[in-house]
Amino acid sequence: MKPGFFEADGRRMSRGAILLLMAPFFALIFFAFIYPLGSLLSLSVLEPSPTLGNYERVLENPLYATVLFRTLRIALLVSLLSLALSLPVAILMANSRGPKAVFLTACVLLPFWSSVLVRTAAWAILLQRNGLVNDFLQGIGITSEPLRLLYTQGAVVIAMTHVLMPFMVLPIYGALRNIPSDYNRASAICGAGPLRTFWEVTLPLAMPGIIGGFILVFLTALGYFITPSLLGSPQEMMIATLISQQMRENLDWPFAAALVGVLTLLVTIITIAFSKVFRFERMLGASA
Amino acid sequence: MNPRAIILNAYVYAVLIFILLPILVILPMAFSETTYLTFPPEGMTLRWFEDFFGNSRWMAATWFSVKIAALTAITTAVIGTMATYALVRGAKAMGTLFQAFLIGPIVVPHIALAVALYLFFQNTGLSGTVFGYVAAHSIIAMPFTVFTVAAALSSVDPALEDAAMSCGANRFNAFRLVTLPIILPNVISGALFAFIISFDEPVIAFFLAGIRDKTLPRMMFDDIEQNLTPIIPAIAVMLTLLSIVVLLAAGLLKYVANRNAARVEQS
Amino acid sequence: MSQAVSSNVKGASIEIKHLGKTFGNVKAVNDVSLTINAGEFVALLGPSGSGKSTVLMSIAGFERPSEGQILIGGQDCTRLPPNKRNIGMVFQHYTLFPHLSVGDNVAFPLKMRGVAKAERRRQAEAALEVVRLGGYGDRTPNQLSGGQQQRVALARAIVYNPQVLLMDEPLSALDKNLREEMQIEIKRLHAELGFTVVFVTHDQGEALTMADRIAILKAGRLQQVSQARELYERPSNLFAASFIGEMNMLPVRWDGVNAVFSDQDQIRLPDTASIQPVRPGSAILAIRPERLSIAAPGTEGSWKATVRDVVYAGAGSLLITHLADGSEVRLRVASAGQAPIRPGQEIGIKVPPEAALLYPADASQ
Repeated sequence: MKPGFFEADGRRMSRGAILLLMAPFFALIFFAFIYPLGSLLSLSVLEPSPTLGNYERVLENPLYATVLFRTLRIALLVSLLSLALSLPVAILMANSRGPKAVFLTACVLLPFWSSVLVRTAAWAILLQRNGLVNDFLQGIGITSEPLRLLYTQGAVVIAMTHVLMPFMVLPIYGALRNIPSDYNRASAICGAGPLRTFWEVTLPLAMPGIIGGFILVFLTALGYFITPSLLGSPQEMMIATLISQQMRENLDWPFAAALVGVLTLLVTIITIAFSKVFRFERMLGASA
Repeated sequence: MNPRAIILNAYVYAVLIFILLPILVILPMAFSETTYLTFPPEGMTLRWFEDFFGNSRWMAATWFSVKIAALTAITTAVIGTMATYALVRGAKAMGTLFQAFLIGPIVVPHIALAVALYLFFQNTGLSGTVFGYVAAHSIIAMPFTVFTVAAALSSVDPALEDAAMSCGANRFNAFRLVTLPIILPNVISGALFAFIISFDEPVIAFFLAGIRDKTLPRMMFDDIEQNLTPIIPAIAVMLTLLSIVVLLAAGLLKYVANRNAARVEQS
Repeated sequence: MSQAVSSNVKGASIEIKHLGKTFGNVKAVNDVSLTINAGEFVALLGPSGSGKSTVLMSIAGFERPSEGQILIGGQDCTRLPPNKRNIGMVFQHYTLFPHLSVGDNVAFPLKMRGVAKAERRRQAEAALEVVRLGGYGDRTPNQLSGGQQQRVALARAIVYNPQVLLMDEPLSALDKNLREEMQIEIKRLHAELGFTVVFVTHDQGEALTMADRIAILKAGRLQQVSQARELYERPSNLFAASFIGEMNMLPVRWDGVNAVFSDQDQIRLPDTASIQPVRPGSAILAIRPERLSIAAPGTEGSWKATVRDVVYAGAGSLLITHLADGSEVRLRVASAGQAPIRPGQEIGIKVPPEAALLYPADASQ
């Protein structure tokens, strides 16, 4: 937790008033988060009998282990791609002023606040057999036949990168903007050229934002449901789609619960491990 | 511009094309006369908008989503502002717990939350109810509201409320007459984002939908999955406009809030 | 003229009894007792962390004392919320409500007291006239200068004729000229309206010029409560002596009659030199730099000193000298008519015995 953000001096409100003001929040979180998730997770170890058997199935059945590793691989790929695309955008945003800055920010924010379904549908249209991408590839002579692009891992990776990129741009941009320009001048006076300054000063100072954005994209990608379900191949599903399938089609709730447990555990461990660089308020604050 | 800057700019504009391309491609298709989706669109028609507005199932889903989103916006604004106020002005000790509970629902994958709520609501008969959706959407929209409000609140000098109380206002009036008017732009802006988050929310909606009561994103999901009709681009046009309006409103509110903050700074 | 001026309210007395306030394991205020008479102007003076603001906030009701009692006008207010105390208060950073006009800011206390709108407006305008800002009611606070904003804050604090006015370093954000102007303004209002004023400051000059009595705090404890003259001329302990004004402090040996320096120079002190009894042994001799004067070296009864530095400061000059044993002595002398003095020069220092004060060399002071 960033000190000073929820700044308080603790001296002027009674404990009763504080509890009263907080009560609805905690009640809501308990009702719609703690209790449902808790009972789902307890299902995974208590049904059909108190057992870890559901978890053993996840790891022992090669089919499910494959899904798990595929999910990790895709999430990592999406995060790396997002970073490669986002870092220069964030740098240019942080260094721009006036109309250019507004334009760049709008280009990043508009997709961020527009429907995931719309963007996923757009990719479906772009990547279909007679879609724009195939037209383009044929037009420049890379291929003579339309390629099968939709319902592939490639489609999932590209569309997810597109959807999740703003989560990377905004924290990096936030971190870069918080670096006082004096540091660049100080570095220049010390004899460093612009590239050297970027490498030795700017990048290390922006690192919390970069790591934060990377983790945020990675975590979100791990549990992503909409895009893989609509653009991915059923033979190469990710874990969220598997959970949905087990829950709704196979009605194997304890096993679905165990999958949720694995996913939640993974996410929680990563979050706690990186809690120092995780400054949600800044990431979300930058988006608003 | 030096060569380095040219390369950087070129790269960034290429990325921006990647960012904007899907949206720029899908929007014109809303006006295409063909029943299949192709680019460039052919002809010019408003037929798909008419289809959307003339279809009772789409309309029912839209109103259902609007209702849920509006209630989510109000719920998060009220509950979030109350809790944030208590935290910023009093309960530092609860900060860590509060923040953990606040970001928990957005760190935990939506699929996990959705499945958990699916199970819980199935057992309690809340599936497909407005109440169920609002509760679920409120917890994922809450961080956006809280952080927006907290940012505003921590820039309001607590001494302003002291001053109000020394003038004879009780604590509630000190908040209502002094702090609330100052942070109101941020509260509204937080509520607007909560509205959009709820209105666009696809994953929980996918699991919680009953047979009849489907939200707009759930209807869209089914359409995209099954046959992807040009109604989707038509909806995309309207959703994009909505996002633009909300972003502009938020920008305006931010401007107002900054002006207030500047006044606080000066006074 | 305005009602605020003509009604000539008398202030209320404030009794602070054994006040204590603990934050965690820090005693911010430790057994402070102080009685402030109705209509009196008292300054709370001390370095930061001395507890002066906590005392003020306890009177205002923003801090709940851990121990002790606070009576305002004879009524026990210890547990009363701030809005029920009928106190006027001026804060350090003006704290005008940024979303309200100047007039609405001043009328705010009246609104809280259910005064009708037209009457509110009239009284607010009257209060603005009192602080000489008549006609500024429609402006917003950020259109005013710092000094004007603080006057508005003052108008807001006095608009409902409170019996007590509290001020928390109200002038610290203003530059020097404005500060002096506001000091006069506040004194004038105090004289005209007759309320009791408790004024927190870390600026001793401000305290000395404005207050009837000054209460000095250090580390949560009250050190001395006196009128300005007594505080300056007869500070009751070493802390008060060093905190107010400049003071030479020389370690001496005290035999009950004479204070002996380490180099065997000595000075015979009158009985009045020690404010509290000082036992023979090591002690501190304190003397204000402006009470010392220059004599020819070797003059009977003068101390032998070597000039280290001369700082010319217009009307007066500061001479930094050291005695034979190396202890530093500063003198403030009139610049005019002084023979030029150079660093390195030997001089004599004449010490009027009645100007010397003696304190026990107790480190705990």
